[in-house]
Amino acid sequence: MTRLLGGREATLAAACLVAALVFAAASPVFLTPGNLLTVLRNSTELLLAALGMTLLLAMGAIDVSIGMAMGLAAIVVGQLLMAGIDPALAGIAGPLAGAALGLVAGAVVAFGKIPAIVATLGLLGVYRAGIFLTLGGAWLSGIPTGLTDLVATPVLGVPPAIVLIGLAYLAVFVLLRRTPFGPHLLAVGNSDEKARLSGIAVTRIRLMTFVVAGALAGLAATFYIATYRNVSMTIGATLPLEAIAAAVLGGTSILGGRCTLVGTVLGVILIRLMQNGLLLVGVPSLWQPVVTGAMLLIVLGLEAGAGSEGLRRLVRRPA
Amino acid sequence: MTARLRQSPTLAILAGLWVLLVAGIALLSPGILTASTLTTILQFSSILALVSLGQALVILAGGAGIDLSVGGIVSLASVLAMMAVSAGLPATLLPLACLGIGLALGLGNGLLVTRLRILPLIATLATFYVFSGSAVALTGGAAQSGVPAAFTPWGRGALAGIPLPFLTLALPLFLVAGVVISATSWGRWLVAMGDNERSARLVGIPVDRARLIVYGLSGLASGAAAFVSLAWLGSARPNIGQNLELTSLTAVLLGGVSIFGGRGGVAGVLAAVLLLVTLQTALLRLNINTVWQVGIVGALLVAVLVADALTTRRR
Amino acid sequence: MLRQLKLTLFAATLLATGALPASADPANTVAFVPQLIGIPYFNAMEEGGKKAAADLGVEFIYSGPVDTNPVDQLQIVQNLIDQGVGAVSVSVLDASTIAPVVEQAKAKGVKLFTSDSDAPDSGRAVYVAQATDQGLGYAIIDEMVERVGEEATVAIVSGEATASNLNAWIGFMQERAKDKYPKLTLLEPQYAGGAADRAAQIATDLMAANPDLKGIIGVASTTCPGVGQAIETAGKIGSVIGTGYCSPNTARSYLKSGSFGYSVLWDPAKLGYLTVWAGKQLIDGKPFEASVQLPGFDSPTTYDPATGILLLGEPAVFTADNVDQFDF
Repeated sequence: MTRLLGGREATLAAACLVAALVFAAASPVFLTPGNLLTVLRNSTELLLAALGMTLLLAMGAIDVSIGMAMGLAAIVVGQLLMAGIDPALAGIAGPLAGAALGLVAGAVVAFGKIPAIVATLGLLGVYRAGIFLTLGGAWLSGIPTGLTDLVATPVLGVPPAIVLIGLAYLAVFVLLRRTPFGPHLLAVGNSDEKARLSGIAVTRIRLMTFVVAGALAGLAATFYIATYRNVSMTIGATLPLEAIAAAVLGGTSILGGRCTLVGTVLGVILIRLMQNGLLLVGVPSLWQPVVTGAMLLIVLGLEAGAGSEGLRRLVRRPA
Repeated sequence: MTARLRQSPTLAILAGLWVLLVAGIALLSPGILTASTLTTILQFSSILALVSLGQALVILAGGAGIDLSVGGIVSLASVLAMMAVSAGLPATLLPLACLGIGLALGLGNGLLVTRLRILPLIATLATFYVFSGSAVALTGGAAQSGVPAAFTPWGRGALAGIPLPFLTLALPLFLVAGVVISATSWGRWLVAMGDNERSARLVGIPVDRARLIVYGLSGLASGAAAFVSLAWLGSARPNIGQNLELTSLTAVLLGGVSIFGGRGGVAGVLAAVLLLVTLQTALLRLNINTVWQVGIVGALLVAVLVADALTTRRR
Repeated sequence: MLRQLKLTLFAATLLATGALPASADPANTVAFVPQLIGIPYFNAMEEGGKKAAADLGVEFIYSGPVDTNPVDQLQIVQNLIDQGVGAVSVSVLDASTIAPVVEQAKAKGVKLFTSDSDAPDSGRAVYVAQATDQGLGYAIIDEMVERVGEEATVAIVSGEATASNLNAWIGFMQERAKDKYPKLTLLEPQYAGGAADRAAQIATDLMAANPDLKGIIGVASTTCPGVGQAIETAGKIGSVIGTGYCSPNTARSYLKSGSFGYSVLWDPAKLGYLTVWAGKQLIDGKPFEASVQLPGFDSPTTYDPATGILLLGEPAVFTADNVDQFDF
């Protein structure tokens, strides 16, 4: 449990709380259930993409093509729906397509022996061209509403998508903490050389992680279609960097070997909470990227700076 | 020359690809091979070349070095410098303002990396958001016009078919960087610390200070690119640096610089920049949908690196 | 290894050359460079341009950037000029996209002009306009007030903050609100970039922030689906009216669901047709007459020599009732 709620999570939770209090004081709308649901709804794709990114970073990899993978999966889901396929099947096609694309990225990294950032940078270009060529320059629009219930009808006040995302997090948590996959993944993240020497099938772990991350991006695509019923050329362009920011804010190390799922959730929530709150209090949306960058700098800077220990103690004492 | 080529296989590959490309164009559409095409290619290489030079130095110096904020620096430096001129800064100081702002922003990255020990990927991801976001937010997205007319003849001019920004700025800087890296102790430090940081520290190389300077230089190069964009376009565009982080990274890696640092040189980077821009130009001349550029460049990057990784392992 | 690379590049070259043949006669070619490729609006202009090219016996090239980056657009324009294309029309992202090449174009005898988005005072030969910026800005506000009344709060969601034509329209919206509807509250414009999901996110946040919000205007055609979807998802159909400058095909499902009250646009295919026609006139060295009736056009197009603007006509307003009569 101490592992689960380490220093960074406490810092982030406190940051979310402070931000929420400030916004609530400045705008009467902020704390209404409707608005909080909006924040959650706006977080769906990022929650899933950041979860996949967390796993990749923990393994010492990264995937900057994840947004384009979501885009391609979204085209698959959208076109199946438009072809009149049963919505449930079309919805499942999202994660499947994502997993296939993740396998491609994993194979290039694992067999091509090139750093993940370079490999996925290349794939980013290839996928982007792929999106354009499959769309043929037009948008997918007017996609049938078959999946809309996923994001609309609240079950106990929460859309089913959020429940599904919770289940995805739970599944990944079990995978990490209750199966050998977790320790193996972290071992590869710490040092793939040592992992190999200790008998871990490094290549298989690599492939599996990319496949899981891809499937999560594909699930994000299903929710994307359910929410927007439209695919345009620019789909997913900002997703990878936001996912990296969220995971790193949460306390996952990009050097590998360390990850926290709670931290990632808090990182996503903090980013979206700030975007929503700033708009509510009247700060133009153009400043949002600046705020995202500043948050990264502040959180990491605080931790790096001398004051970090004191701050951590300050946050921990009540607990 | 042959010895040099043997030393760096990437340079040979790039040269080969370039020749192949030009030969391909000559076959398909001979009308393209004119002097004005060369001018166009070099003109559109200038900004990318400058930014890639800074990026190359940062990656060469190792320590997981990378600068994702280069495009943000180009945008912010050009916007801020023009705002300063509008606010009364003497127009003659415009180039200095660009360089100074670029240097300052780059040093900011360097401090984050060397003092706060934030990993470069994350530190410059954060400053990418801050710099590029600020450039758009400060201006509300509007272009800042009013670049003094005295600069545009340089920005748009050419001597013997070679654009002046390339001839008088980008090319000399690459030469200087090449000489510094191969012939000065400072340059050898850079490669040494990229190759093996621990032993570099052990032999007394001031790794942190050198790295701080390298990030500063990357900012400086981006500031220079910002000035080129001002003198060329005649106005400051808040999103002028869009995508430069990814394109420059592509050029540097394609140019044979190892992402882990310590291996590669600036000649390959210049070759890669020229290859990329030639490819773009060729595809445009053949009236091929621009989206192919994106896909081909991506595939090329993966292909070259996979080939490189596989042959290196065999060696 | 080298062989592998050669094969890759060769295959790419083959694929690429299979895609499009080089144009036959550069001097008899009209090119159009959009702000961005891969969006239905400019695709429709391309279709119109092709039709005009077939009617008028000229070659037509359509080539634009993948990102809304001025340098990428400039690179395309520069290469068209180097090719010696007869006339090049550009929907400029900003005046800077053509400023460096105006002199070169003149020297090479290439007719450089703007279409869809203008760069005044740049030395362009003519501007082919869909409607005046003023007319567009005023029309969307007038239609909105007709539906929500004068005492209302209305939000603006735009695309790229750097697109000069979108900013001009917003400027005229604000001017109209200030001059004619003093009681109308126009919120500060927000910018979604080119992404539909960002537009939806911002629209949702705006509805939450302003419970009394009556309307949302999606300025870029890329923002329309996001705005419409956000109103549907938030369950605000009927209480918030969405609109934007988007084509009937893009707006259709939102007009029918009621999340959009109306949409304002011209026919981009006609604009594409007019663009190529204007290019042909310039190549042939024929002057523009004050009023010309083109085949298939509902009303004559007008030319104002003082401003150098060739005007398509008034923008059309699409509603749930008439949207099915259009297909673009």
